Amino acid sequence: MSDTDPGSESPRLTRRGFLRKGAAAAAGGAAVAAALSPLRDLAPDDIPTIERLFQKHYKEMTPADKERIFARIEREVKARHGVKTRLTDPPPLDGVEYVYALNISRCIGCRKCVHACVAENNTARAPEIQYIRVLQMPKGSQNVESSDHHYDPPVVPQPDSYYMPVQCHQCAKPPCVKVCPTEATWQEPDGITVVDYDWCIGCRYCEAACPYWARRFNFTEPEVPEGSLNPDMSYLSNRPRRKGVVEKCTYCLHRTRRGRMPACVEVCPTGSRKFGNVLDPESEVAYILRHKRIFVFKEDVGTVPRFFYYFDERGSRYHEPIAPVQPGADA
Amino acid sequence: MRRYLTFVWECVRLSFVGDWRYHAWMTVLTVVALAGLYAYCHQLVHGLVTTGMTDQVSWGLYIANFTYLVGLAAAAAMLVIPVYVYRNMHLHDVVIFGELLAVAVIVMCLLFVTVDLGRPDRFLHLLRRFNFPMSMLTWDVIALNGYLLLNLHICGYLLYSAYCGRKPSPVFYVPFVFVAIVWAVSIHTVTAFLYVGLGGRPFWNSAIIAPRFLASAFAAGPAFIILTLQVVRRYTNHRVRDDALMTLRRIVQVAMIINLFLLGCEVFTEFYTDSAHLASARYLYFGLHGRRALVPWIWTAIAFNLVATLLLVLPASRGLRWLNVAGVLAIVAIWIEKGMGLIVPAFVPTPLGEVVEYHPTGHEIMVCLGIWAFGLLLYTIFVRISVPVLAGDVSFAKRHGAPPGTGKAAT
Amino acid sequence: MDPQTAAFDRIRAVAVPAVLVVVAALLGAGLWRVPEAVPAAQPVPAWAIDPTPIRRPVLKPEYEVAGFSMRCSDCHDLFPSPVETDRPLTQHTEIVLKHGINTRCFNCHHPTRRDFLVDDRGGEIPFDQPPLLCARCHGPTYRDWLHGAHGRTDGFWNKQMGPQEHRKCVECHDPHEPPFPPMPPAAGPNTLRMGEQGAPHEPEAVHNPLRIYQQGAGREPVAGAVAGEDAHE
Repeated sequence: MSDTDPGSESPRLTRRGFLRKGAAAAAGGAAVAAALSPLRDLAPDDIPTIERLFQKHYKEMTPADKERIFARIEREVKARHGVKTRLTDPPPLDGVEYVYALNISRCIGCRKCVHACVAENNTARAPEIQYIRVLQMPKGSQNVESSDHHYDPPVVPQPDSYYMPVQCHQCAKPPCVKVCPTEATWQEPDGITVVDYDWCIGCRYCEAACPYWARRFNFTEPEVPEGSLNPDMSYLSNRPRRKGVVEKCTYCLHRTRRGRMPACVEVCPTGSRKFGNVLDPESEVAYILRHKRIFVFKEDVGTVPRFFYYFDERGSRYHEPIAPVQPGADA
Repeated sequence: MRRYLTFVWECVRLSFVGDWRYHAWMTVLTVVALAGLYAYCHQLVHGLVTTGMTDQVSWGLYIANFTYLVGLAAAAAMLVIPVYVYRNMHLHDVVIFGELLAVAVIVMCLLFVTVDLGRPDRFLHLLRRFNFPMSMLTWDVIALNGYLLLNLHICGYLLYSAYCGRKPSPVFYVPFVFVAIVWAVSIHTVTAFLYVGLGGRPFWNSAIIAPRFLASAFAAGPAFIILTLQVVRRYTNHRVRDDALMTLRRIVQVAMIINLFLLGCEVFTEFYTDSAHLASARYLYFGLHGRRALVPWIWTAIAFNLVATLLLVLPASRGLRWLNVAGVLAIVAIWIEKGMGLIVPAFVPTPLGEVVEYHPTGHEIMVCLGIWAFGLLLYTIFVRISVPVLAGDVSFAKRHGAPPGTGKAAT
Repeated sequence: MDPQTAAFDRIRAVAVPAVLVVVAALLGAGLWRVPEAVPAAQPVPAWAIDPTPIRRPVLKPEYEVAGFSMRCSDCHDLFPSPVETDRPLTQHTEIVLKHGINTRCFNCHHPTRRDFLVDDRGGEIPFDQPPLLCARCHGPTYRDWLHGAHGRTDGFWNKQMGPQEHRKCVECHDPHEPPFPPMPPAAGPNTLRMGEQGAPHEPEAVHNPLRIYQQGAGREPVAGAVAGEDAHE
C-alpha cells in the first residue's frame, strides 16, 4: 500500500481511502468523547466561571472587589447549604501577635478541642478533617513515634501517659509559606498563617513541608451535615471550602480578631489551653512565657513556632484512678 | 512561512503512515491513553479521593512518576555530552533520539504534575503570583518548561533544516546544546531540591539525594535509549552503529556503580547511626510497627540493581541480549527506587509519628499508564517523523517537485 | 509487498476503527465505578463540643435536706456540733473527704459560723470566694490562677473588647475530692484510608532502664473505678 512508504505522496484520494480515513477519524472522535464522558457528572458549580478564573488574590483585592466577591460567596453558600451567612473580613489588630500556650500537665486528652474546632470551622466530616491531633505519649518519651493517635480507653487520662495536642503552630519562619509556588498561603501581621482558598492550586507542597503535620487537603468535596454549619464566617478562615484546596487552623481568626477566644480554648474543660497577645505584658500568655517551664515541639527544625507547651512545677498525673464524671451531668 | 506550515502538515501526515505493526502499536497506546483520560475525568469530578493519597501520604504515584521522568529527561544530556564535549562521534547520529526523548518525557512530567493538582483550572495563578525564588516548585516550573523549549528548538531546528534540505547552521543550535547540558543537570537537581529542603521530613533532608538522583537518572536514561535505539534499528532504515550502543553501555555501567555506592552511603548513614530519624528508612527496608507494604518492592529494586550492575560489568553484556536484560532491570529498579523508595517512605511515619500506608488505586494507576502511553505515543511519532526527514526521504524539495495532478494543494 | 502484509493492512484498516468504537462503547457505558473510599461520618455527642464547665456549684452556704434547701446556719446555729476532728459524720454522710492529707473539715469550714469558710486566723471567707480559701495551702497554684496560667479563663482574650473571667476553683475541683475526674475521650481521628490503627508496637528488644518504672506503658488501659464502663458512650 502506498501509505506505508513515507516517501510517497498519496496519489489520489480514493473513495475507499476517504471512507477508511473517515471511519477511523470518527471512531477516534467517539472514543475521545467517551473518555471524556465522566465530565457530564460535574456539578454545575464545579465548572469554573470566567469570574472565578480571574478572581484576584486576596492581597490584591480592593474593598469594592471584596464586597462583590464576598456577596458571591454568600450566594454560593446559601445555594449549597441553605444557610444565610455574613462573610466577614476582620483585619488584623494592631500591636497584636498571637501566641498559644498549652499546659501538658493539665491536658487530659479528652479531645473536646478537636471536635469544637471541627464544629467551628465547617470542616468536612467524611472523612473528618480535624485540625487538632491529640497524641497520647508515654511517660518518658518525647518521640512522637511512640505516640498513639487513636487511643480510645474507657477514660482519660490513662496512667503513665501524657497528652500533647498538636495543631498549626503559626510559625514565625513558616516552611509552608516558603514552599507555596503561588503565594496562596502567607503570614498575616498578627502571626496567623492563612490560605486563600480561591487561589490555592492544590499541589500539596505545603502539606509535605509542614513539620507538625498541620495542613489538610480536601481530597473530596467537604460535606457539612445539615444544621451544623457555623454561619459566623470569614474569607480567610472558616468559610466552606471546595475540594482540591488546602486548609489549616487559623486560630479562629474570625473570632480572635474580634477579641474572642478560639473554639478550642473555650471548650477545654481543664483550662489547659491559653491564648493571647504576646506583645501585651499583662496577658496570660506573657505570664506563662515569663514564669513557666516551656518547651517548643521539634525546636530543632527551626521554624520558631508561636505555640508553646508548658508544665506546672508541681502537678501529678499519676494518681490512682478515681470515679469518673459523666460529661454534661450536673456536679 | 508556507514552508513551515507544509513541514507541520507533513509531520502530521507521517504520523499516520506505517505498516500494520505500527498501527497496532499506536492503537494500543491510544486505547491506554484514552482509558487514562477517562480515569482522570473521574478524578476531576470526584476529587483526588479517587487516588490512594491521604493527608498522611499526600504525594504518591503521580509525583513518583514525575520524579523518575525528570531523571529520564535529564539523561538526554548524556548523549549530548560525549558528542559535543568530547567529540565522540559514535553517538553523533543518535543524539537526536535522546533530544526527542527529552521532549516527550518532559511533556509527560508536566502532565503528571497537572494530574496531581487539586485545582488544575487554577494553574494560571502560577503566572500571576510566582513565589520565585523562595519556592523550589517555581524553580522547577522554570527549569522544566525551559528545558522543553530548549529541546523543542534544537530538535525542531535540526529537523526543519533537514526538511528544507539545508545544512543546519551551528550558531542556531550548538550554543543551545551546551546550555541544554547544563540545564539538564539543573532540572534534576532542582527536582531533588524540592524534597531536600524540607526540614520536617528527615528522610529527604539529606545532601545525598541530589547526587543520587543524577546518578540513577544517568543510568536509567541511557538504558532506555539503548532499548529504543534497537527498536529504531529494527523497524526503520536508520543506521545505528554498535559503537553507539557500547558507548551508552559504558555510561550506564559507570552510573549504576555510582548509584550503588551512593545507596551504600545512605544505608550506612541511616542504620549505623540508629537514631529516631531512622524511622522512614526502617519502614522502607524492614517495615515499621507491622506495616510492610514497601519492603518487597525495595528489595526487588536492590536485587535488580545488583544483577544489572553485575551484568554490565561483565563482558557478557557486550552482547545485545544481556545488555537488554541489564537495561530493563536497571530501568525497573530505578523506577522503584525513585518512586516507592524515595517519595512514599518520607511520609511514613508522619511528622507526628502516625503510620498510614499508601496503596495506589486502580484509577490512579490507570491515569499513570495513560500518561506513559501518551508519552510513548509522542515519542513514537517523533521517531516516525525524524528518521525519514533526517534521511532526506521526506523533504520540501521532494514535495515541491512532485508531478502535477497528485491531488495535493499546490505549495 | 508480500500478500501477508497486504492482508494485515486490510485487516488493520477495519480493526483500528473497530477497536476504537469498542473502547468508546465501554467507556461511555460508565461501567467503571469510582470506589467508595470515604469513611462514614462519625456522630459526635453534644457534650464533646459543650463548653459548660464540669461543675456548676451554687457557691452559697446551702444544703439540701429532703428536697428543701436550707442554709447551713439553720441547723448549725440550733445544734452546735462538736469541734473534735476525728468523729465521723452523722449527717450529710454522702460527703467523703478525700483531700489528700487534709482530713479535717474545720481546716476549711468555719467551726462556729457554718455559713462561712475559715481563713488562717479563724476569720470568715464568704462561700462565693473559694479561691481565698484554697490559696491558704495552694499558694503557687493560686498565684498562677490569678494570672490566668492555671484553670480556665472564660470570655475574651482581649479585655478591651469584652469581659474576661477566671473560673473559680470549685468550678472544676470538687473541694472534698479535688483531683480532676477522668472522663471518656471523644472520638478519635476518622481520616481517609487510615486502616487498622491501634496495633501494638513491637516490644523493645533493646534494654531500656525507663521501662522498669512504666507500669502502664503498652499495657491494657485502666478503666477507672466503678462507673467507668458505662460512662463511655
